Parts: sequence; C-alpha cells; structure tokens
Amino acid sequence: MDLEQLRKTAAEVVARDDVKYLIGWKKGSYGYRVAPVFVEDAAGVAELIFSPLCTANLTTYLTLVEKTPLPRGQEADKRKVALMVKGCDSRAVVQLLVEKGIHREEVIVIGCPCPGVVDQSLLVEKYGDTEEPVEVKWNGDGFMLVRGGEEIKIPRDEVLAEKCRLCRYPNPVISDHLIGAEVEKWSPAEDSGVSELDAKDVDGRWEYWEEQFNKCIRCYSCRNVCPLCYCQDCILDRLNPTWINRAVNFSENTAFNISRAFHLAGRCIECGECERVCPANIPLGKINRKMAREVREKYGFEPGLDPEAEPFQASFKPDDPEDFIL
Amino acid sequence: MTEKPKIGVYVCHCGINISATVDVETVADYALKLPNVEVARTYSYMCSDPGQSLIKNDIREHGLNRVIVASCSPRMHEPTFRKAIKEAGINPYYLEMANIREQCSWVHHDIDEGTAKSKKLVAASVAKVRLLEALESKEVDAEPSALVIGAGIAGIQAALDIADAGFKVYLVEKTPSVGGRMAQLDKTFPTLDCSACILTPKMVDCASHPNIELLSYSEVEEIGGYIGNFDIKVRKKARYVDFDKCTGCGDCAAECRVKDRFPSEFDMGMGKRSAVYLPFPQAVPAKYTIDPESCLYLTKGKCGKGPKCAEVCQAGAINFDQVDETVEFRVGAVIVATGFDPFDASRKPEYGYSDYPNVITGMEMERLVSASGPTGGKIKIFNGKEEIEPKEVAFIKCVGSRDESVGNEYCSRVCCMYVAKQAHLLRDKLPDANIRVYYMDVRAFGKGFEEFYDRVRRENVRYIRGNPSEIFKRGDKLVVKVEDTLTATPLEDEVDLVVLGVGLEPRADMRQTMELLRLSQSPDRFFLEAHPKLRPVDTATDGVFLAGCCQGPKDIPDTVAQAKGAASSAMIPLARGKVVISAQVATVDESTCRGCGFCVNICPYTAIELVTVNRFGHEVEVARVNEALCKGCGSCSPGCLSDSIQPKSFRDRQILPQIAALGVFK
Repeated sequence: MDLEQLRKTAAEVVARDDVKYLIGWKKGSYGYRVAPVFVEDAAGVAELIFSPLCTANLTTYLTLVEKTPLPRGQEADKRKVALMVKGCDSRAVVQLLVEKGIHREEVIVIGCPCPGVVDQSLLVEKYGDTEEPVEVKWNGDGFMLVRGGEEIKIPRDEVLAEKCRLCRYPNPVISDHLIGAEVEKWSPAEDSGVSELDAKDVDGRWEYWEEQFNKCIRCYSCRNVCPLCYCQDCILDRLNPTWINRAVNFSENTAFNISRAFHLAGRCIECGECERVCPANIPLGKINRKMAREVREKYGFEPGLDPEAEPFQASFKPDDPEDFIL
Repeated sequence: MTEKPKIGVYVCHCGINISATVDVETVADYALKLPNVEVARTYSYMCSDPGQSLIKNDIREHGLNRVIVASCSPRMHEPTFRKAIKEAGINPYYLEMANIREQCSWVHHDIDEGTAKSKKLVAASVAKVRLLEALESKEVDAEPSALVIGAGIAGIQAALDIADAGFKVYLVEKTPSVGGRMAQLDKTFPTLDCSACILTPKMVDCASHPNIELLSYSEVEEIGGYIGNFDIKVRKKARYVDFDKCTGCGDCAAECRVKDRFPSEFDMGMGKRSAVYLPFPQAVPAKYTIDPESCLYLTKGKCGKGPKCAEVCQAGAINFDQVDETVEFRVGAVIVATGFDPFDASRKPEYGYSDYPNVITGMEMERLVSASGPTGGKIKIFNGKEEIEPKEVAFIKCVGSRDESVGNEYCSRVCCMYVAKQAHLLRDKLPDANIRVYYMDVRAFGKGFEEFYDRVRRENVRYIRGNPSEIFKRGDKLVVKVEDTLTATPLEDEVDLVVLGVGLEPRADMRQTMELLRLSQSPDRFFLEAHPKLRPVDTATDGVFLAGCCQGPKDIPDTVAQAKGAASSAMIPLARGKVVISAQVATVDESTCRGCGFCVNICPYTAIELVTVNRFGHEVEVARVNEALCKGCGSCSPGCLSDSIQPKSFRDRQILPQIAALGVFK
C-alpha cells in the first residue's frame, strides 16, 4: 500500500472547497485497534493509514450523519464527503447509490484495492493481545506482524478474515481516486458453512438457529454497523404497531434476525460487519450469504455492482421463479 | 380518535345464501357483547331499501359513528352501504364489511362451523372499524376527448358515437386502412347483407367526421396518466407517401418494379399486391403506402435507375425520406378495440392446412367467395392438374375452438353461423356440388340464427355430426377421415375442397396492449372485463373500456352493441367534465420515508414519484402519491423497508388488530 500516495491524494481532496471532510482509518488507541478518522484539513492526513487491520466498513458513516434541524435561514452544508473504501465497502457505496441513500455528487470515493484483511479475534487467539502499539502489514502472500521491533511472518490463511476468503471483489467497483494498483483476484473459498447448513433438514437448521438466536442480546449492533440499515426510524423499533416485542427471548430474537435478513435480501454486499461486531458471536454472515446466494442463483442479481441497476426488491419480471412460495 | 366509537353491526341473511349456513341471530347476539357495539341486528336483505333504512335510522337514533355490515364481498355492496351511511350523516369510510357470504357461508356446509367463523370475522371487523379514519373523495377535471385503439367495426362505431355526441376522438389504427376484419368478409349472417356495403359508409364517416382525428398506420407507444387525464403518445409510421399529396390514383402500384409480387394481407395471402399498395379498393384513407419490408428501394437501397413509383406519380407524393412521427395528446377515456386473430390452422397438423392447398380457412373462403376477392368471386381450385370447380366440399367446424389440445376451451361463437353462411353462398355458386358440414354441435343462439341454419339445411347442405380425425391425400382428392357419431359409422369422405371453420384467438400482439394499459386477461386469454355481468365493457383500470373481440369472441351485432356500450361509458367522465378519485389511496409518512424509491418501481400504476422536500433545512427526497393514479392496491407497502407508505384504511395499525382478533396471534 502506497501510504504516501494515499496521504497526498487525501491532502488534495480535503483542500477542495467543496469537500467537508474525508473519512478514513487511523491507528487506534492501543494494540491492534484501528479507529475511524474524520480528516478536515491537510494537517490531519498524516494520521491516515491503510493496513490489514482496517476491517471496518466506513460507508456506514455516510448515512449515520444526522441531519439535525437547521435554524431558519441557515443553509444546509452541501459539501461532499470523501470516503476510503476497500472492494467490499465500495459495493455498499454502489448499493446506497442504487437506493438513493446517497447521491453520486455527494461523495468522493477513494478506492483502496485490498489483498484481504485480518480477523482480529484470530490474531489475538494465535499471537496474543497487546496494549503496546503494534503494526500489521501485508507481506507477500501473507501478513507481517511488527511488535516491539520483532517481525513475525504470518501465513495468509491463518488469520485472514472469513469474508476475505469468500471475497470476489477485492478491488473497488467504484472510485474517484484509486490508491495503488489493483490487486489480483483470488479464487474465493466455497461458501463456508452455508452448504453445510443447507445439507441439514429443516429440523436440523431450526435447531442450529434456535441455539444461535437464543444467544442474541438484541443490542442491535448488527443493525447499527450495517451500511445498508439506515432507515431514520427502523420499523423494528416501532411501538404502533409493535412488530417485535422488546422482550429478549427466542421468539422475538428470531423475528428480529429474520426480519433483518429479509430486509437485506438482494441488498447485502457481504462486508461481514454484522458478524464482526456481534458480541454474542452469532454467525450472521451465514444468513446473509445464504440470502445473497439465493438471489444470485434464482434471479441472477448481485447488489452493489451497478449504480444504475434497478433495486432488486423493487423489480419484477413475469418469469421470475416462484417455486419457493408455499 | 377523540369520540368514543359507537358501532352498529348489521348481519344479513341474504335470503338463505348466508342464513342457511350461518346462524345469523347468534352472530348478532355475539356482536352485541363486543366492545363498543351499541346495536346489532339481522335482516333478510340488508342491501334492500328497508335494510339500508334500518342502518340509517340507527345512526340517527343511537348516534352510531361506525358501521359494520356482515354480508357479501365489499366488491359487491361496499359502495351501496357507504352511500347509505353518508346519507345518514357519517363519513362513508367509517364502514367495514365482514364478508360472511363468499368467504364463509358459500364455502362451508356445517352451520356450526359457519357460525363460528362468522363470529370471528365480525369480531375482526369490530377490532378494525374503530381505527378507521375519515376520508374525503376528491374530484379532478376530465379532458373532453377519447382515444380509440383499433379501427375495426368496434372501434369505428365507438369513435362515431363519441364524436357524434360532440367529443373529440383520436382513432388509432395499426394498418394503413380502417375497416378491420369486417372489411374482409363477404356477406354477414344471418341476413346476408353485403359486409362492405354496410361497413364502408361508416369507414368514410369516421375519416370525414369533424370530431374524429384518424391516425391510420399508427401505433400507440405510451399511455400515462389516469381517468380524465390520459397522456398518449402515438407513433405515426412512415408511409413514404405524402399523405396530403397522394390522390389514390394507383399509378405507383401499377408501375412498381415488384408489381403484384407480395401476398396481400387483405386477401389472406391469396391475392397479390405491389410493394406500394392500397390494402383494398375501398380503403380509408384512400392513400397508398409503401411497405418497407418489400420495397426494393427501401430494402436494397436501389430500384433500377430510380424508383418507378416516384417517376410516375404526378402528384409527387412519393417521399423516401419520410420518417416516423410522434404525436402526443391528452384524453379523458380510452377504448380498446384491438380485435382478434383467426386461429392459425397449421396448429392442427392433422388437418394438413400447411400441406394441402385445397384445405383453406374460413377467412380464406370469405375472400374466395367475395366478388372483390382474388378470383372475382369464382370458386376455382387447382387440383394438381387443372383448375376445376369443386364438386365435393367439406366444412369442418370448431377448428381451434372448444379444443383443449390447442389451449382454447372456449367457443368462438361465430363459426357455426359463418360456416352456415359460407355453405349457403357456395350452394348459390355451385348448385350441383355436394356440400357437407362436420360438426360437434350447432349453436344457433342469436336472433334469426336457428331460422338461417334451417334454411341452409333445406338447401341440401348435409350436416354430419363428427369431429374429423385426419385429412390426407388420395390421388387428386382429399380424404376426410371421420366417424359419423349419430350412426356410429366410420367414414373416409373424398372431397375436392376442405374449409376449416377456424375460431377466434386473442391477438398475438395483445401483450403490448396489456402492458400499455395494465389490463388483465381472463383464462381464455382475451382481455378481462371488470365484472362479467355488471361491468362488461369496463376494465380494472378506470377510464379504460373494452369493445369487440379483444374482450372475447363475438359477432358483428354484439360487437357493435358493446362498442356503443363502451362509447357511452367512456362519455360519462367526458360529459361530466370531472372524475371522482377514490379516497382509499396510499399515503406516505414523509418524516420516516428514506426516499429509496422502491415503491416508485413497484407501483403498477406509476402513481408514485420522488419529490424533494425541505426537512428542517435539509433537502431530502421522499415518495409522493398521485392520488388520482393510485388504486389503493397496496403493492407499495410491503416493499417499503421503513413502513412509510401505507394504503389508507389498510394501514398496519388498522389491519393488525383485525388479524389479531381472528386469533391468529396475540
């Protein structure tokens, strides 16, 4: 990764009058942590990094920004927001464009071709956690952990995040500035876990998900981190009508998780953020990947690739398959 | 809602339609115990005048503010009861219909089951009715003009009626001339009027009528808008002949380098035409058209040293630079009169239509027997050696009708009589020929039909009951293999000419029309009317009406009657100048709408658009419903992830308690 090019481009972008700020990654407060950073001027660009620890999908910040009421007469800030994206993140940008969640003229996309990021939990498991500042870099086919002057080579498969093993779009599908060269695509792993679950009978799957959903504490982290869950007023929070009770039990948890999966059908771009942030370790990726696979196989549709695409959930063809309708 | 709900429940016996399977008294007693129910009554026919008065009196005496009628489907009598409660002074949308007939008494046999289900349906209505909102219908202006698609006899008649009433009509015809199928017919059954003689005056009228704008050789490209305000886009196809200059003299066709080389559509391919042509001598408008698919100059870019037609045309009307033209206008109503296609006889390969030239269809027979046809009305056939007058002629009925094997279960309604008519005409021209008709049934149901059928039989036309299984060739004869089912005798009947009484089918291009106007098909694939009995010319789209065979096979008198019906229905909004828009439409909560536009894509009536609004100083896009276009179908609602668009009277908060009351969930 060419950090110099990143910072130079970022400096040029934030210097523009029509740019509000740039959202990127910076080193976190300790250990492996990486934090988002909002860079408003050239002075801030030195903080920007792009490393295998930059797992978070920053696209979610585009829609998280609250449009608070303005005093009468005050103009809304219409300046653009610049955003660093990996391949997967860029698909969220495209999907937001499709859904008019953002408009093209509102964003500047800084595309970062991504050889794959690490799963921090695996890193901690294998190499221990630390409070000291450490660095993780891409190194040939794998990674390099730099800790207290010591360089540790890590084989790629040992700590590679699951979503990256399955990744089919390592290069940004949309960008205004591309940092560094595009990376070579790798052949993605099989859909880890989905086929395995598919092979079970209905009772077996139900048993599996009963166990998983029973763990849910309904913290809504999955929803809050998701770049495509951005309704101002989520129906799952509504009281009239109360679609889902507040009670944390299997029935309501299931209703919540299944509703979310359906709302994401044909929209989820498989960035894996929901699963990453889940404190209960529910394999949410499996639900969303299953849904994505159904949509791809039955309807030949993949979200987040073409900004001009008709939204999947709002398109209809007379010959659409419907054999799954009971 | 601030006022306390006071509900009246009215349980209808519907004669014994409901009361035979539902104990209506028990249902009423039960209803009276439900919260906020002030009155519960039963009556034999709630929709009758005394039934309605019962409700109105209770509203006045008991101060009811909500009414539930437990009777038939809302499609049947919701408007009736809305009107009644409005007359008694409460908002017409404070009504809920509990359907205990179609969805209960008619589908159950056991009175205990029927009663128990009726109770639940009434309880569900009680749960919902209190949550209904008062709605007001609106009126919008209607454009005093109409579009008629298709200029066969149906379209011509509808256009003339509307134009005579003083409204502007745009009459759009796909082919170069008006007239349609009727223009191709020789005589009409059972009166034997000459088809052309009764049709051509109407064709001329519709071209010269000051209120009719005839757009021949044109196709409707787009229809937007709604009843009262349809926005129409029509493509006038290039004729390559200047419409105003052409005098119809025919010099061009006579000199065309590919003169009489192409099968004439009008003569069912039996006659020939040039690349520049008039479909038939009485064509209206009497203007020539160059067929871009057969003209040498237009297909090859070269025609000798230069197109001869252009050379000989004294009016200088030939213009190869002409291009398609688009015209746009607005109308208040649309009549669809797109007609039918004759059944393609090659889909019954056992009859050898594709193999044997002397197996012809009824439509071909019409042209053969017509004095203006390709043989000048002489019945001549070629038997492989010489041209002869057929001595043995067989008609076969129900070809492509009443036949599940080709997907047409319906009766085409005209074949029995046109076959009888053609047999009569043949008898006239071939006094010595043996003519027989193979039939399954003879359906002579119309005025003068049975009499005509008797007359034809007395003219020595033999009717033999049997559905031929095969036609094959033996020497220079055709053999019809059939069983005479009245005498149980297998026959191999040697004949010279076979006429297939082909049925009527929906047009091959009807899908386009369906998509243009969002029409539906009935199981027979013809256009679906809004109600088979009470709204036979209406469609589910307000302001769009059906006339003629596009709605189902029918003969000329029925077609004309339907066209007149469609014209008079279409004139209602035109004459009133206003249309009432239903109040039960979708509505958007703009504070939660995220402006994704899913509903815009989903809406089958293009009733939703995204608009930019100011939300506390920020410009945001939200969905907005055009209430004139919205049908309240509710398709948008499940597509909305934030639940921001909902149909009024069917909002989640209104229907969930209704579902809960059914005991489906708690």
